[in-house]
Amino acid sequence: MLFMLFVAFTALVVRALWIQGPGNAFYEAKAVKGTQRELEMSASRGKILDRNGQVIATSLEAKAVIAYNDTVPKDLSDEKIKQLANLLQMREVDVRKKLKDERNQVFLKRQVDPAIAQQIRKLEIPGIGLNNEFRRFYPEGEAMAHVVGFTNVEDHGQEGMELSRENDLAASTGKRRVVVDRLGRIVEDMGVLQLPQNGKDLKLSVDSKIQYIAYNALKDAVEKHRAKAAGAVVINVQTGEILALANWPSYNPNDRKILSGEQLRNRVMTDTFEPGSTIKPFTVALAMEKGQVNPNTVMTIGAKYLVGPKPITDTHLYPSLTVAEVIQKSSNIGTSKLAMNMPASEMWDLFTAVGFGQTPKVGFPGAVAGRLHPHQKWMPTDQARIAFGYGISTSLFQMARAYTIFARDGELVPVTIEHSPDYKAGVRVISAKTAIEMRSMLESVTEAGGTAIKAHAEGYRVGGKTGTAHKVAGKGYSTNKYLAYFTGIAPISAPRIVVAVMVDEPTANGYYGGQVAAPIFSTIVSETLRAMNVAPDSTVKNMVQRDDAIKPGSVAPIQRVVLTQ
Amino acid sequence: MNRATLTLLALLLICALSLVSAQQRGRKLVTAIERAQIEERKLNQEWLRLEYEQRNLSKSARIRDAARNQLNMSPISPNRTIYLREER
Repeated sequence: MLFMLFVAFTALVVRALWIQGPGNAFYEAKAVKGTQRELEMSASRGKILDRNGQVIATSLEAKAVIAYNDTVPKDLSDEKIKQLANLLQMREVDVRKKLKDERNQVFLKRQVDPAIAQQIRKLEIPGIGLNNEFRRFYPEGEAMAHVVGFTNVEDHGQEGMELSRENDLAASTGKRRVVVDRLGRIVEDMGVLQLPQNGKDLKLSVDSKIQYIAYNALKDAVEKHRAKAAGAVVINVQTGEILALANWPSYNPNDRKILSGEQLRNRVMTDTFEPGSTIKPFTVALAMEKGQVNPNTVMTIGAKYLVGPKPITDTHLYPSLTVAEVIQKSSNIGTSKLAMNMPASEMWDLFTAVGFGQTPKVGFPGAVAGRLHPHQKWMPTDQARIAFGYGISTSLFQMARAYTIFARDGELVPVTIEHSPDYKAGVRVISAKTAIEMRSMLESVTEAGGTAIKAHAEGYRVGGKTGTAHKVAGKGYSTNKYLAYFTGIAPISAPRIVVAVMVDEPTANGYYGGQVAAPIFSTIVSETLRAMNVAPDSTVKNMVQRDDAIKPGSVAPIQRVVLTQ
Repeated sequence: MNRATLTLLALLLICALSLVSAQQRGRKLVTAIERAQIEERKLNQEWLRLEYEQRNLSKSARIRDAARNQLNMSPISPNRTIYLREER
């Protein structure tokens, strides 16, 4: 008997020793599991702001509604399912199907509004859980779509700046360990296992107001000319900042159902085209730079100019033109004659220096280089046609950037999409003298006798060059499909912006750059300069000199608001 | 037992009790901090939401619409504007 007791006690002691000693880890783990938890520390994706700090992309909290199908009762009442379906804005059949899913954990719907999620919680259906997540919102909608891009449901950038700056914008969630009491309240913080990292905010150079102006101007023009597409870009020539970059057709990045297809294309950056006459100022500037001609040099033009098998012609017959008039009237013959007097290598050097044929480093996904063949491969007929914009291709963005050499007295400005409002030093490409002379030739294009009188902007002196190119169709050029462009500078007296406009396949109310693209340029320039508070440099009525001697009441009321009655 | 031992015993008891109460207070404070942090997060989210709403209400498109259709305003034109220039 005594022996039995002894054995029993020994067994107890051994067991106790085992639990305290080698077997302890198991129980400790159990205790920790009961009282310690690992919690996720959420972090949100950075905001995208415009140059004035206005939000153009922001992440707001949302809920993912999850069904844990092993917990959801099989005999859930029809009433509850109906309420759930209504709140989720889903069809009842779809909800039922998801609840019958084989998998244990099914997303019923993601990115649900927190207020609706709260109502779902009130339904108190067992096994329906809510997970924290974020949803991205884009207040500017269609107007800014191609600049900001969008994210997918996992909050990763898919297009635009959301994609190209993913590394900075992305957030990484953290983890920490805590001790909880039996009610689940946190009573002790055991420390952070992984720090959460909020995404960095990104401030762009784009101005929402100017962007809206540009987008609207394109939209109106596309309607008027029944065009297929259009694009525009506005660059601040002092700072090299992109103030607006608009495309039509566009899409609403807030609506996930339509995030595919043609309308996603950022045409300004990713589409290349033959620039046609918009390239002539570069050819002519080179001839002037080399001292071969000056704006007043008279050239014989005639009906046609033979280089290679096909003669080069103009839309009108000019017996002779000055070099300035070659630009003003957009003469193909005059431009190619100037080109044929220059070595191909020098033309290639200039075109390369202003960025043609090279991928612009501006941080946009899909930005293209365009095509500029090495000059060694140019036949004389190529050289004569490249001079007026055929056999070379660029994006609208490249064209706008190249024009900064005329706006900045011969310097090419580095262009950026990020907010950086200080004056940027450029790279000299041509002399200031040539650039200034070219500016006044470009201004003459918008004056009486020029090809783009409609580019004239009220209150401001502007200058620019039209372009109308036949679209490439199959192996040759289409006879009835056109691209209309206008690229210009304003105000001419002290340039502030370069604006480039492109309209793809205008089919009604004209198709020439001067008829289709120039009016868009005019609208964008006058509204943008006003928004930037640039004083008019052309003669406007009612110019008043400040003079304290003027008696009160003799000065008419000053209108300085954007909209007046 | 002499008086010194008794005093020490009393001190020990006081220490032990205050340790328990300090620990309890510490846990309460942690809970309070947690609650405050949740509140902070909530307010932060609320602020983001309000910022978004404010932005939505001040969109160029909305302002233009309101100005044209509700207030019957029209865009300014340089022809109807008087510019004041500072004398140089």
